[in-house]
Amino acid sequence: MLSSNLRKDSTCMPTVEISHISKSFGELKAVDDVSFEVNKGEIFGLLGPNGAGKTTSIRILLDIFKPDAGNVSILGGPMNEAKKDLIGYMPEERGMYQDIQLDRCLVYLGTLKGIEPAELHKRITGYLERFDLASSRYKKVKELSKGMQQKAQLITTLVHEPELVIIDEPFSGLDPINTQMVKDLLREQRDRGVTILMSTHQMHQVEELCDRIVLIDHGRTVLYGHLDEIRNQFSGHAVIVRTPDELPTLPGVEHVEQHNSSAYRLNLTPSTNTQDVLRSLVERGIRIDQFEIAAPTLDEIFIRVVQPANQEQGDKL
Amino acid sequence: MTKFWLIAWHEYSRHVFRKRFLIVLFSVPLMIAFMVVLVIAIIIMETSSKPVGYIDHSGLLLNPILQPRVEWPEQYVQMVAYTDETSADVDLQAKKIQAYYIIPEDYLQAGQVKLIFLSKLKGSDEEQFAAFLRVNLLANQAPQVAKRILAGNTIITLSADKSRQASQEQFINILMPLLAGILFIVGMSTSSGYLMQAVVEEKENRTMEIMVTSVSPNQLMTGKVIADIAIGVTQLVVWAIFIILALVIGKNYVPWLGGLSFSGEMIGVIIAVMVPAFIMISGLMAAVGATVSEGSEGQQIMGLFTIPIWIPYIFIGAFIQNPNSPLAIAMSLFPLTAPMTITIRMSFTTIPAWQLIASVIILVLSAIGAVWLAGRAFRLGMLRYGQRIHWKEVFSHQKV
Repeated sequence: MLSSNLRKDSTCMPTVEISHISKSFGELKAVDDVSFEVNKGEIFGLLGPNGAGKTTSIRILLDIFKPDAGNVSILGGPMNEAKKDLIGYMPEERGMYQDIQLDRCLVYLGTLKGIEPAELHKRITGYLERFDLASSRYKKVKELSKGMQQKAQLITTLVHEPELVIIDEPFSGLDPINTQMVKDLLREQRDRGVTILMSTHQMHQVEELCDRIVLIDHGRTVLYGHLDEIRNQFSGHAVIVRTPDELPTLPGVEHVEQHNSSAYRLNLTPSTNTQDVLRSLVERGIRIDQFEIAAPTLDEIFIRVVQPANQEQGDKL
Repeated sequence: MTKFWLIAWHEYSRHVFRKRFLIVLFSVPLMIAFMVVLVIAIIIMETSSKPVGYIDHSGLLLNPILQPRVEWPEQYVQMVAYTDETSADVDLQAKKIQAYYIIPEDYLQAGQVKLIFLSKLKGSDEEQFAAFLRVNLLANQAPQVAKRILAGNTIITLSADKSRQASQEQFINILMPLLAGILFIVGMSTSSGYLMQAVVEEKENRTMEIMVTSVSPNQLMTGKVIADIAIGVTQLVVWAIFIILALVIGKNYVPWLGGLSFSGEMIGVIIAVMVPAFIMISGLMAAVGATVSEGSEGQQIMGLFTIPIWIPYIFIGAFIQNPNSPLAIAMSLFPLTAPMTITIRMSFTTIPAWQLIASVIILVLSAIGAVWLAGRAFRLGMLRYGQRIHWKEVFSHQKV
């Protein structure tokens, strides 16, 4: 009953609202005035370098740590015991009972999320088959490989059909086939209306999966918003042109630099329109394999944002 | 079902069905069985089925009455009459008899007999010959008089308020509270050790973070403490069954076990003292588990709690001499020493009611405090992987 009410309420407000949270451990300020929201049915990226405060933020969000300041709203209000059944959490430090059978471990952790054992067995069977773990069902967890344990951990995160999934480094330890399977699974969850908060260092995965991101560094928010908007914010006035031909001098182009072996980056003067550059190339008979507005990758944005901050920190020290 | 029951059952089954636990569980009955076998072996070694001879010059054994039957594992010894020493010697040298007694003419006046042997007569066989003489000496008495004389005296010592009594035949009852207390404390210490180990393991294998996003730390802790108590009770019940079985069987052969009885008062006091003590120790062990980073470190800190529990055992001599001394009273009121002190004192005195009530109240408050401490240490320490938390952090005003 409570669970259905929570589901109804949470449709009209962000699934997660974090507002000006701070947390210190002794002298160390792990999180300093961080705010962000995660909307229902999106995959949201929580990014930052090592030690930025991502895990602490997640633990505050899950009520494992109490914040020194600020507020957290999750599924429409403060965290409570009933809401724990609607959340699936896969921490960075994977945790499973090593000396019991996989099946018993999954059933135990699943029953703690309020699912009846009979239903749980059905769901676990489905997931084990999908994750190619059916033959390892009755093996002790410690006998499974790191990748298999990673997949088993994912089952414990999803088996109770949570409304909010919080997942830390979901791709670590997975081969390309399993990485693709997990990506498909996360998209499938999102399409079902599940909200996903994903923390990872793998920027290309974030670009592929996330709608919006927050980037925190040294405990503070440094970037927050839609991925496209952030990219635009960091894109210079330039285009990328891939061509097998030599590029001639073009009007409105300040300078040309090699982008990679077969592509060039054309930095434009402020008054130049990108369409004029395309027209000039076509008029000069240049064969164009690719023409795109030069937007930085998330990796580049990450380095551009995080490096100066680290430099500044180093200077202070 | 409330989640802490799920946790309790998981913890209970995970430990109880482990090889290590089963070894500890059955080591006590095995030890008891070994001791029983040892006692039987000693008794058998102290007796021999080979006959014992006698030459009666006193006329006492003209129409001899056989000595009373003996219980297994003692062996009944046949008494063989000889008319002269020569024939007795021949049989002794031929090892047909173990030894022979010479009962002189003036036996009834002097009360002395001679024993001729090649190797010393076994204790039980000597006793059987003594019994043989006794029944024949009393042959002319009325049966009830003979029976009374053979049974001997029983001195019963009563406490001033007449609530407790002791006698030679019932001396096992004096030791019962002490034995029950030791058993309880051994069970409590081992099962609390499992609890601490379980908490450290969850920290080490990183399961803790998953757990606390499914249940509250309080539910987690409650489940674990319930499991700990259930594990302890399982041990105690199994041990108690074997011990009672050993006593019930044993009293057929060991006369002083015959006076064995359990008083309701004794059981009540032990439960009233041991249950809060159990919860207190569980809480302290869980707190230790939450604060340390490795199981071995936890074992060392565990000693800080388990050593005080056993300290009263060192003072057992002093408690027997003066069970109501200020030291005994103080140790009855200090929560870590109370369980053992109370059970020792119960064996040798009637503890004043106010001391029992005060001790139980202090233990209950300590149990509540230990569980609170465990909860706080747990919240502070559950996610500190590879590093221990300091006790001053636990007692600080830090928000957890």
